Amino acid sequence: MSVLLKLTNVAVYVGDTCLLEPMSLELKQGEPLTILGQTGSGKSLLAQAIMGLLPDGLTVSGEIETFGKVMTIEERQALWGREMVMLPQEPWHSLDPLMKGVDQVKEVYRFVRGNSAEMSLAMAEDDLGQVGLVGNGHKRPDELSGGMAQRLAITAATAGGAHVILADEPTKGLDVSRRDGIVQLLQARSNLGSLLTITHDVSVARQLGGLLLVMKEGCLVEKGEAANLLDSPQDPYTRELIAAEPSAWSDIAPPIRRASSHDLLVADKLTLERGGRVLFEGLSFTIKQGEVVGIVGDSGCGKSSLGDALLNLLPVSAGKLTRFHKNAKPYQWLKLYQDPPSAFSSSVSLGQLLDDLVLLHDIDKARIAPLMTKLKLPAGILERNCLSVSGGELQRFAILRALLLDPVFLFADEPTSRLDPITAKEVTQLLVELATEANCAVLLVSHDPDLIQRTCHQVIAL
Amino acid sequence: MMKMKKSQWVGLAILLALLAFSLGGMAFSPYSISQQDLNAIMESPSAIHWLGTDHFGRSMFTRMAHAVGLSFGLSLLCMFTSSLVGTAFGVWSVWGGKKVDVAMGIVVNILLALPGLVVVLLFAAIAPGSFLVLYLAISLVQWVEYFRVVRAVTQGVIQSPARQSSRMMGFGRWYQFKRHIWPAISPSVFTLAAFGGANAILTMASLGFVYVGIQPPLAELGLMTVELFPYYSEAPWLLAQPLVVIALMVFAFHLLAGKRA
Repeated sequence: MSVLLKLTNVAVYVGDTCLLEPMSLELKQGEPLTILGQTGSGKSLLAQAIMGLLPDGLTVSGEIETFGKVMTIEERQALWGREMVMLPQEPWHSLDPLMKGVDQVKEVYRFVRGNSAEMSLAMAEDDLGQVGLVGNGHKRPDELSGGMAQRLAITAATAGGAHVILADEPTKGLDVSRRDGIVQLLQARSNLGSLLTITHDVSVARQLGGLLLVMKEGCLVEKGEAANLLDSPQDPYTRELIAAEPSAWSDIAPPIRRASSHDLLVADKLTLERGGRVLFEGLSFTIKQGEVVGIVGDSGCGKSSLGDALLNLLPVSAGKLTRFHKNAKPYQWLKLYQDPPSAFSSSVSLGQLLDDLVLLHDIDKARIAPLMTKLKLPAGILERNCLSVSGGELQRFAILRALLLDPVFLFADEPTSRLDPITAKEVTQLLVELATEANCAVLLVSHDPDLIQRTCHQVIAL
Repeated sequence: MMKMKKSQWVGLAILLALLAFSLGGMAFSPYSISQQDLNAIMESPSAIHWLGTDHFGRSMFTRMAHAVGLSFGLSLLCMFTSSLVGTAFGVWSVWGGKKVDVAMGIVVNILLALPGLVVVLLFAAIAPGSFLVLYLAISLVQWVEYFRVVRAVTQGVIQSPARQSSRMMGFGRWYQFKRHIWPAISPSVFTLAAFGGANAILTMASLGFVYVGIQPPLAELGLMTVELFPYYSEAPWLLAQPLVVIALMVFAFHLLAGKRA
C-alpha cells in the first residue's frame, strides 16, 4: 500500500499560541482515516493545513508529504481537484446557487479534465445517475433536499478524479437515513485513492472503518483501528464521546404522574400545508401536562411546522387544536430554537436580556441563581452577549429564560442538532429533567430516532 | 455606541471646526451680513476684515459664518426629519401588514420616478427664498432612501427567531424595535444620514446658484458663489471661500459616513 499523505509533526499556531499540537499521521491507499472529536478540537484546522487553505495569521510547522514529496503550499494548491480535493462543511453552501446541478458537474469534466462539451455532459449525467440523482440534474441547488445537494456536491468535487478526498463533517445537519447514504457514497468515490474524514459523529466513524484518530482540544488522544478503538476505548474522553451517542443513552425520560395529569392540548385530525404542499393530514394526538413528546421524521416532513402550529405561529389548514389549561398566559407557551445564537439579540448582554424579562413579568430575581447552578451556567456569562458564549451554554441559557416564565408547554425545535454530542446529551437531559420538574410539557423535535426513543413518553412519527 | 474609525473622527472634527467657526462668527463679528462699505470693496484679508470684503464691501467673515450656519441648520434638520420619517415608515411598512406595504410602495415609487433635484426645484420655484419650503422639499426627497434600506433590513429581522422569541415571551413592539430592529438598522441609518447631510448642503447650494434658493441679501454658499463669480480674476480668494467650504463640508460628511455604504 502506497502512502498518499504523510504528516510529520504538523502543528498550527496563531502567533505563539498553539491551536493544534504537533501530530503525525499517514494516509495509505485504500485505508480510510477518520478524525473524531468535538467542535473546536482542531480537526478542521488539520484539514485546512493539509490543503494549504489556512486563513491568514495562522502558521503551520512540520512537514506535509503528498505522494511521497514534501511540497510547498503553492505546489499543493496545484493538486487541487485533480489529485486532492476537500469537501467543505455543509457543501450546499459551496454549490453555485444559480446553476443547474448537472452543469456544475459538467464544468469539472469540461475545464478540469479538458473533455469536449458533449462528452462532459454525458459523463456528468452518468455520474448523477450513479448517485441516484437521475432526473434531478436540471434543478438548482435550492430545489434539492439537503441530502441531494450533498450528493451533488460530492459528485462535483470528485469529478476531477482526485485520489485523496478530505471530507470535513460531510454529514453535518443530515438526517440519519441520509447520513448512511453519504458515507457509502464517499466510500465508493474513494476506493481508488483514499479518504480522510473529519467528523464528530461516532456512528460515521464506525461505518467508515479504517484508522481512527480521536482529538481533543488540539491534541491527539487516541489512535487505532476504528472497530477496535470504538469497542474498547482506552481514553476517558473517547469513552465519553461514545457514551454521548443517543443510541448509547440510558432512558432519561422521567416518570410522570400520568394518571393524575390533565390534558394540555388535543389535536384532532390536523392537516398542515405550506407553500401549497400538504405536509401531513389527519394527525390526532393528545399532550398531557408535564409530558415529554417527541416528533421524528425526515427533514422537510413538517416536524418544525407542526410545533409552530401548536404555538399558533402557523395557521392549520384543517382539523382542530384545543388548548386546555385556561390559566396559562400566552407567554407560557414557548419555543427553543435550533440555532441558539439566532434566537437572541446580540446588541446587549445576556444579563440585560434577563433583566428585561424580569422587569416585564415581575419575576423574583432570587430564582435566577439556583436555576443557573442547576443548568451549570457560570455567572460570568451574563456579562457577555450571545455571540461570545458557546452554543451549549447559550442553549442552556435559553432554557433558563424559558423556565423563568413557568411555561406549560415548550416546543424544542432540534435544540441540540448544532451542538456536540457530549454537550447535546447534557442539554437534552437538563431540558427534560427541569421541564418535568416544573410540570411543563415538552415537544421535542429531532432527526435522531434514538434520541427521541430515550427521552420521550410519547412519540409522534411523521 | 458605535466604534468610529480614524477617518470618521477626522470628518467629525472638520464638521465641528466649521460649526465653531460659524457660531463664533455669528456671535462675535462686529459687522452684519448686509452692512455695506463701498469704500472698501474686494479687499484682501486683513486685521479688520479677516476674510476680506466682497463687491459691496460686506465682511466676508461674517457672511461666511452665517452661510455655513444656514447650511448646517438645513442639513441637520433635513437629516433628522428624513431619517426619522424614513425609519418610521420603513418599519411600519413591514410591521403594518401587506396593505400598508403596498400603499407605501406606491408612494415611494412615485417619488422615485421623479428626479430628486427636479422635485426640489419645483418646490423652490413655487416659493423662492423660503427656508421652510426648501427644508420640506429636501426632506421629502431624502426620506425615501432611509425607507427602502430600513424596510429591507427590517424584513429580515421580523422573520428572525430572536424577534419571534421575544414576542412569544410577551415583549411589546417598542421593546422588539429597541432590541432587535434598531441594532440591525442603526449602522445603515447613520451612514445614510451622513450622506444625506452632504446631499442637503449640495442641493441647497445648487438652488442658490440658480437663484431659486435663499434670496439676497441673505448669505448662502451657493448664492455667494454666483455673486462673486464675475470677480474671479480680480479677487479669486473671495470666490474660493464658499467653494472651499462646500467641498470641505461634503468631504467631512462623506468621511463621517465611513467606508460601509
